[in-house]
Amino acid sequence: MSRKINVLLSAAVWAFTASAASAQIKVGITVSQTGPAAALGIPQKNTVAQLPKEIAGQTIEYTVLDDATDPTKAVANARKMISENKIDILIGSSATPATVALVDVAAETKTPYCAMVPTKAVIFPMDDKRKWVFKAPQNDAIMAEALADHMAAAGIKTVSFLGYTDGYGQGWLDEVNESFPKKGIKIVAVERFQRTDTSVTAQALKVLSPSPDAVLVVASGTVAVLPHKTLREQGFTKPIYQTHGISTMEFVRVGGKDVEGTIFPAGPVVIANLLPDSHPSKAAGLAYIKQYEENNKTPFAGFGAHLADCATLMLAGVKPALAKAKPGTDEFRAALRDAVETSKDVVAAHGVYSFSPTDHAGLDKRARVLIKVEGGKWTLVPEPQ
Amino acid sequence: MNSTIALFLAQDGIINGAIYALVGVTLVLVFAVTRVIFVPQGEFIAWAALTVAALEAGTVPGTAWLLMVLGVSAAVLDCLRAGRDLTLREVGTMAIRDIAMPALLLGAVIWLAPLKPGLAFNMVLTLGLLVPMGPLIYRMAFQPLADASVLTLLIASIGVHFALVGLGLVFFGAEGVRTEPLLGGSFAAGPLMVKWQSIAVLVATLLVMLGLYGLFDRTMLGKALRATAINRLGARLVGIPVASTGRIAFALAAIIGAVSGILIGPVTTIYYDSGFLIGLKGFVAAIIAGLTSYPLTALAALFVGLLESYSAFFASAFKEVIVFSIIIPVLLWRSLASGPHHDDDEEV
Amino acid sequence: MAAGIKAYLPRLAVILAIAAFPLIPGVPEFWVTLGGYIGLSSLVAVGLVLLTGVGGMTSFGQAAFVGFGAYTTAVLTTKFGFSPWATLPFALLSTGLMALLIGVVTAKLSGHYLPLGTIAWGISFFYLFGNIEALGRYDGISGLPPFSIAGHALIDARVIFYPIWIAVLIAVVLSENLLDSRMGRALRALRGGSIAAESFGVDTARAKLAVFVYAALLAGVSGWLYAHVQRSVSPSPFGIGPGIEYLLMAVLGGSGYVVGGVLGAGIVTVLKDQLQNILPKLIGTGGNFESIVFGILMVATLQLAREGLWPFILRLLPKTADKIIDAAAVPLEHRTPPERGQPLLVVDRARKTFGGLVAVNDVSFTINGGEIVGVIGPNGAGKSTLFNLLTGVLEASAGEIRYRGERLDGLPARGIAQRGIARTFQHVKLVASMTVLENVAIGAHLRTRPGVIASMLRLDRREEARMIAEAARQLQRVGLGEHMHKPAGSLALGQQRIAEIARALCLDPALLLLDEPAAGLRFAEKQQLADLLSRLRAEGMTILLVEHDMDFVMRLTDHIVVLVFGTKIAEGTPDAIATNPQVLEAYLGGVE
Repeated sequence: MSRKINVLLSAAVWAFTASAASAQIKVGITVSQTGPAAALGIPQKNTVAQLPKEIAGQTIEYTVLDDATDPTKAVANARKMISENKIDILIGSSATPATVALVDVAAETKTPYCAMVPTKAVIFPMDDKRKWVFKAPQNDAIMAEALADHMAAAGIKTVSFLGYTDGYGQGWLDEVNESFPKKGIKIVAVERFQRTDTSVTAQALKVLSPSPDAVLVVASGTVAVLPHKTLREQGFTKPIYQTHGISTMEFVRVGGKDVEGTIFPAGPVVIANLLPDSHPSKAAGLAYIKQYEENNKTPFAGFGAHLADCATLMLAGVKPALAKAKPGTDEFRAALRDAVETSKDVVAAHGVYSFSPTDHAGLDKRARVLIKVEGGKWTLVPEPQ
Repeated sequence: MNSTIALFLAQDGIINGAIYALVGVTLVLVFAVTRVIFVPQGEFIAWAALTVAALEAGTVPGTAWLLMVLGVSAAVLDCLRAGRDLTLREVGTMAIRDIAMPALLLGAVIWLAPLKPGLAFNMVLTLGLLVPMGPLIYRMAFQPLADASVLTLLIASIGVHFALVGLGLVFFGAEGVRTEPLLGGSFAAGPLMVKWQSIAVLVATLLVMLGLYGLFDRTMLGKALRATAINRLGARLVGIPVASTGRIAFALAAIIGAVSGILIGPVTTIYYDSGFLIGLKGFVAAIIAGLTSYPLTALAALFVGLLESYSAFFASAFKEVIVFSIIIPVLLWRSLASGPHHDDDEEV
Repeated sequence: MAAGIKAYLPRLAVILAIAAFPLIPGVPEFWVTLGGYIGLSSLVAVGLVLLTGVGGMTSFGQAAFVGFGAYTTAVLTTKFGFSPWATLPFALLSTGLMALLIGVVTAKLSGHYLPLGTIAWGISFFYLFGNIEALGRYDGISGLPPFSIAGHALIDARVIFYPIWIAVLIAVVLSENLLDSRMGRALRALRGGSIAAESFGVDTARAKLAVFVYAALLAGVSGWLYAHVQRSVSPSPFGIGPGIEYLLMAVLGGSGYVVGGVLGAGIVTVLKDQLQNILPKLIGTGGNFESIVFGILMVATLQLAREGLWPFILRLLPKTADKIIDAAAVPLEHRTPPERGQPLLVVDRARKTFGGLVAVNDVSFTINGGEIVGVIGPNGAGKSTLFNLLTGVLEASAGEIRYRGERLDGLPARGIAQRGIARTFQHVKLVASMTVLENVAIGAHLRTRPGVIASMLRLDRREEARMIAEAARQLQRVGLGEHMHKPAGSLALGQQRIAEIARALCLDPALLLLDEPAAGLRFAEKQQLADLLSRLRAEGMTILLVEHDMDFVMRLTDHIVVLVFGTKIAEGTPDAIATNPQVLEAYLGGVE
């Protein structure tokens, strides 16, 4: 039996050696190009081509692997890239379970790691393990506060919650429970659904039964259309809020006129063209979108920009780290981590990052805007002051 | 829960149940004729909806390319299997049926799609693209296994499902679609708002059922299919070509799948992998009915739809657990009913 | 003994090669990591081999059992501070209990209903894991501690490789031990349907449940290891997709062979890794190609090599040594034979109706010790139904069947075997892939006791030697001694029928029931069969045969019962029957 495997393995040598071109800085990326999180992973994968090829006089090599939304595969990918490709930076993955699993790998191998999911647990509470992890997407708290402010200003007193059963839904529910009551908004119903559900009528009926002033739908991409449409079909005419999970034009394409008037928070890149010129992320956002749409001939999605941001903020540590050690060494990776942790005002597509030893999310209010769907397009909603 | 909500849930359950009934009936049909438990039936549904959506958007649907790929692969496989025994005539048939026809369809789609020719045409084109896939899949995967046990065929069927879902992602991408309703708007029936689309689903389901009844009861083809279902060897002895009945069964499956997909497209968002769960629920219904009776399957499908709808209301998170768990007591009862000494000479 | 060692040499070499693999300088670390994953999957696949390939039950839901093991240790280590090593018994217990619970309900399912059931609960558990708060819902549980020995964490792939592969080795050894034992043969007999096994006293429902639980336990161990290698658990590795992948491993490797499971796990894991290197280079784009390739591979394996790939490798290996027959083994106990000429079996107005049809109509006759009794009749006379009543396959609608004064009707096949009645089958039911010797040894199932656990731990060797010696003795007795080490499938039909008689003799029966023993035999074979039966009668055996072939019955039997349309029309010595006008009418002037 081992003979058989050995034959296969030696056949594989070619594949391994072929991919090991020599570059100076190596970045390993695992995303979910397939499986349930493919809608997030594909725009992320499509972003790789536009990442910087060189920094501080060093060439950069990117390795991208697909983990099929499977945590086991994500961990295997990471281990493969760490031991085979000797990567200096790890980025991934598209869904929470895989990302959480990668935290341990990063800490164990002492590899600086950038996460692309908003889940707070990835970087909180900060400890010896999590100190290797930086997180690009906004904390749900920033987003939830924006919604709470808008709702309060609009005189909304009661809200029903209709969200995913997974970590994205749970993370939002926690934040909503935290920030909404502070603004005098009561959560009157909480219902959950799954990405694969073909009908959410029952849940919609349940969240509507206390007659809320508004409903918050927590879902991602085109999946968020089904609950939205179902609520409207049940005759609900009051405001429906969504989350930054829908920041892709696919949502508007599939939702059509039923999703008119939707208000959702998002990273500034999503609506870069409408940002005031004074917004720090406008230039970075526009550049990202232009390049993405040129490369891929498809509309961009907000998730893809998280990968670009990860690259931006991790590569910001390269220059200081180079002063201390050579890439490909443990020392370099440690120096890189230290440098990223102390970096300030790194401008990226989703906001401006300033890290500290206790805060590895590093974003502030500049990392969110409120968007309204109007006439099949996105428009900027001025935040209430 | 008040009576209005109960009615709403019932409506929802019946519409989903109708779709499951279409799947369930197809599974019974395919099982009866070929003994294949055709798990990938759901893929036809998802692909049909995705095809209609692409045509509505004026783009070339992935199915057009997929049909080409399947046609060429089937032809190549058949040539490899037949080897030297291949006659010129057979090669000609294959060249026309498996390569020229899909190529022609592909050309037609590339030419027509950007013109957005309208709903009726989209539906016809979708049927044209999907229906040949049924027999192609049968030829490639199941025909060489025609004499294997039900169990072997089931494992093969799962393999086919695996491959088809993968192909679906390649050809359609990960994003979901929703198609234009066949009939827009809704009307009030007492406290209930009923969508015309829901009525369309029910009417179409009934028509398909009636069509199947007519086919099996009134036509020679239906009788041949039934004969094969009852006794394969006997059917072969009286001159019914068993392989071609298999192809016909799969073509019927593809037709019903395409119709189901066209119907469900406007009701919910469909993804490349949505077919699996829809297919499995139809399959739960077919199993409850013992994989034999069409009317019982339809009834069981309604039950599954309603159960799903009401359990989503009371315990939304455990909806799937409830729907899939009911199959176990049913299986147990079926298994016991078939007798303690039911001898199953199954070989993998 | 030397031959025995020689047969073990290739295995030893493979074990050493695996053990040395992580230590070889220059072997990339990631290969060792992959090796670990292969080991984890092997555990599940080996269980599936026993379940599917050997026991004839197919499961798409094994991944759920991996989940039970993984979640158990995840909860215990993160919430209750257990050490990872200490949770193994709990992981086994929870997996075992769940398997027992599910198994009691589903392992009884026949044919394709079982795999359908496994799909159902495979999916249910995925959603259940994903919706339970205490299990962290879809995001699962993270931050599991690694295994550690004396304060050293076993994190390095080159280190963790060893506990995994030791577990695989133990699983393979235990499984092979099990297959090569009394219970193992009983399990292997399940694949040919349960009637044959039941008629030699195998409690098939229990045997199925045992192998179901065992397969689940192996999956549970895999989950327990996985949790501490991965250090986080979430529902997706335990859904129906991975469940199908495990089955693919078993089918691809060779579902009839324990090592085939390991081979399949290796191929699938390496393929999975390599596909993502090679496919994008070939096709130029990423995508779900892995599942396309796996799907096609699964169908292609079934079409081209239904036994999987292991048999191809097996051909290259030295033949395994023949089973050793220990002539010095203590013979199994004998039951006291019935007295010659005394009534042994009394059929008293036995009746069987199917709806309105009377298949056996108040038939009565008696079999005395030491006789050969023949039941004859034209087609559709009710012979087979009568035979099924006697063997407990069918239950009589009315009447009594008494054996040594005790009522037999209503007893299951197993109960009848326990009382010393053995049978053969009209359609030979031998397990084609087992040797003749092993097939025959199943007959002695009731005469020894070793159970599943004793067999796995090789505590059964003394009893095993006695069983094998008995089987060999019976084979010599019927004249098949020279064929005992051949696969049963390779024998001619006549020899297979004789082997079935040897198997029946292994039960140490007082009464032998033969169902159309001469059907399909050539003239010379019939001659041999008749000689054998006469010899057995001379040795004191009582025999009932249901037969079509008049000549054969006339020559051999002491007493004949003639059935026509379910009714006994005549009874008596061959001479009396040969001249009975009613019989002549039925045979010559009537139906045939």
